[in-house]
Amino acid sequence: MNARYKVMLLCVMIALCIPALAPAQAAKFKLKPGAQGKICLDCHTAFPEKLKNPFIHTPVKGGECIGCHNPHAARYGKMLSELSSDICRKCHGGIVPEKALSKHKVVADGECMKCHDPHAAKNKFNLLLPVSDLCVSCHKTMGEAIAKAKFRHAPVEKGCLNCHDPHAAANAPFLLKEAAPGLCLKCHRTDKPSFASRHMNYPVERAQCTSCHDPHGSDRGALLYNNVHQPMGNRMCSQCHAEPNSPTPFATKKQGYELCRACHSSMVNEALGKNKLHWPLVSKAGCTSCHSPHAAKEAMLLKGSQLVVCGKCHEDAIERQKRSLAKHPPVLEGNCTACHSPHSSDSAFLLNQASIVDLCGSCHDWLKHSTHPIGPKVVDPRNKNLTVTCLSCHRSHGSEYKRMAYYAEMNDQCVQCHELMKR
Amino acid sequence: MIPKMMKFLAALLLMVFPASAIAADAVKMKHVLSIYADSKGGGMKNPEGVACGPGSAVIVADTGNGRLLKFSVQDKNLSGGEEITLPEGVAPIRLQVNAKGEILVLDGKQRRILRLNPDGTFNAIFSPEGLATTTPVIPRSFKLDSADNVYLDDIFSGRIIVTDPAGKFLRQIEFPKDSRFISDLAVDQRGTIFILDSIKSVVYSAGPSDTSFSPLTKDLDKSVTFPVAMSLDAQGVLYLADEHGSGIVVIQRDGTVQGRLLTSGWKEGQLRYPDQICFNGKEEAFVADRENSRVQMFDVLR
Repeated sequence: MNARYKVMLLCVMIALCIPALAPAQAAKFKLKPGAQGKICLDCHTAFPEKLKNPFIHTPVKGGECIGCHNPHAARYGKMLSELSSDICRKCHGGIVPEKALSKHKVVADGECMKCHDPHAAKNKFNLLLPVSDLCVSCHKTMGEAIAKAKFRHAPVEKGCLNCHDPHAAANAPFLLKEAAPGLCLKCHRTDKPSFASRHMNYPVERAQCTSCHDPHGSDRGALLYNNVHQPMGNRMCSQCHAEPNSPTPFATKKQGYELCRACHSSMVNEALGKNKLHWPLVSKAGCTSCHSPHAAKEAMLLKGSQLVVCGKCHEDAIERQKRSLAKHPPVLEGNCTACHSPHSSDSAFLLNQASIVDLCGSCHDWLKHSTHPIGPKVVDPRNKNLTVTCLSCHRSHGSEYKRMAYYAEMNDQCVQCHELMKR
Repeated sequence: MIPKMMKFLAALLLMVFPASAIAADAVKMKHVLSIYADSKGGGMKNPEGVACGPGSAVIVADTGNGRLLKFSVQDKNLSGGEEITLPEGVAPIRLQVNAKGEILVLDGKQRRILRLNPDGTFNAIFSPEGLATTTPVIPRSFKLDSADNVYLDDIFSGRIIVTDPAGKFLRQIEFPKDSRFISDLAVDQRGTIFILDSIKSVVYSAGPSDTSFSPLTKDLDKSVTFPVAMSLDAQGVLYLADEHGSGIVVIQRDGTVQGRLLTSGWKEGQLRYPDQICFNGKEEAFVADRENSRVQMFDVLR
């Protein structure tokens, strides 16, 4: 039996099963003959209007209200007989492949109704809004960026589902139907001479297209990200990479920061000359730990916003801020470099000022007129090697308590040093 | 009667044996003393490294002051504190002392290893010889084994390099492909290498004849925040210095987490951003308590 017949047989079996369930449910609640699907409408008088929508959920069409709702009493809102996600999964169980590489968060959270109307809707698949409008209602930043972009990727204009699966992707990130470059190559022919010449004869059909091109849209031709690394913009790939006809055309001429140092020598030398180094700079990935070598949405060719780039490794700091009662604006705004020097520093924690008091004082100007004694001359009573600084009482990435304090009660904080005042 | 007694004894043994086995591995740390200053009373500043030397020696990398301090701890009593002056511009961050008493110092600023004579005078720059490639070696950390072979955590090329005590290349093992950032390593008496991925919060291991690392632990995310240093005690138990979590996490030989020891704070026995840990073979541990600008000594209780 070929696959086509198997699918047809499965459909027939499902179609046979759905009505077969209805009498069972009707019997469970001892409905009067003919009451199935009609008795509810006696009270829910607005519902027939809803049913005029072009797309009606199959159980609703069959009058199967009790397929999802308990007519008498229920533990769940809307008189649902089970958790809504469990109800949906009963029929739509296969919608998320096992071991999917990426899952839509709303799907993983069982929030089907964030996108679908369980009864009827104007849009196919009972979607609450047309596909693209629906997606950008949550992915607002993406929607705004696409709307503003000078050049838009044609499939994006036709709808997000051209490239993305709305529920989950078995083998690709970002809910893509297929990982790049496979997905891109479905539309873009690489055998044309113009394709090769535009890519300086590098075999980019084997590369990650999205390391240079914004798949949604951009202000630059060829959908290059808005910020382009100068050698790439000048089509000087071989400045960093081996020749295109070499056995390893994408190999870089040097490794790690040594490659970047050829042009950015003063910056790299300065970074390497400080007492404390951000070690990823000298790792195998080097500068590309944080920067994109080709093109990027973000300024300075950062791989993402600071919250994303720094948070990839320092998730604990970002999470601490999320849990914190008081929010420290620089962390909240993702402006890590307001306090930290990302390459290296002579100061602890890669701070961009030697004195913590001076650093905090650059925003908190009250430090300059009235404060608890702090500074290099004020020895911490707990430890003669320490001086009292802002961090003696406050946790810079936030805490569970007010004012980013270490303790819930101010008294508990004060008596850490003022022990004689302990009551 | 006898068979009944035998059964009872066997059952009792079965019940008691695993309990004693677990108890033998359960570790606690009890604060003994804290070291704050050199012999002249000069305070430490953000020490990142500490090494337990042969005998009673304890060497501290007083990182913020760019110097080493040499102490002696005998019967829980601290003495010494003489300064070992380093060449100008050196930021000592990790230390090891070999069987001859030579001190090897990782300079975090110039990312190289200095070899000092037992009296603290400069001897040479340690550099591995006979490597297959000419790429620079950038050690984030290093350790010695019982034969004084040197194990370098070369983050530039993503590998552990093993050399003999003189620096002659012996072998190398690449970091696991899916690792993120290997901050430290440890070597046990059998020659098993352990490496610590700070970002993934995973410890990997490779036996003496292995050519690759495999995970020893699961993702330790629930137990650690951001571990940066790792040491082994004489029993083969791993101690992770959880820098951002300000505590010590104990990992058993089979990779299971025994739990967290010590808490964050300023008081003695508490830690703020701990770094290198060393053991002196007398069930005593020393922890570089970086942001408290001190080194603390603990008894290891089992």
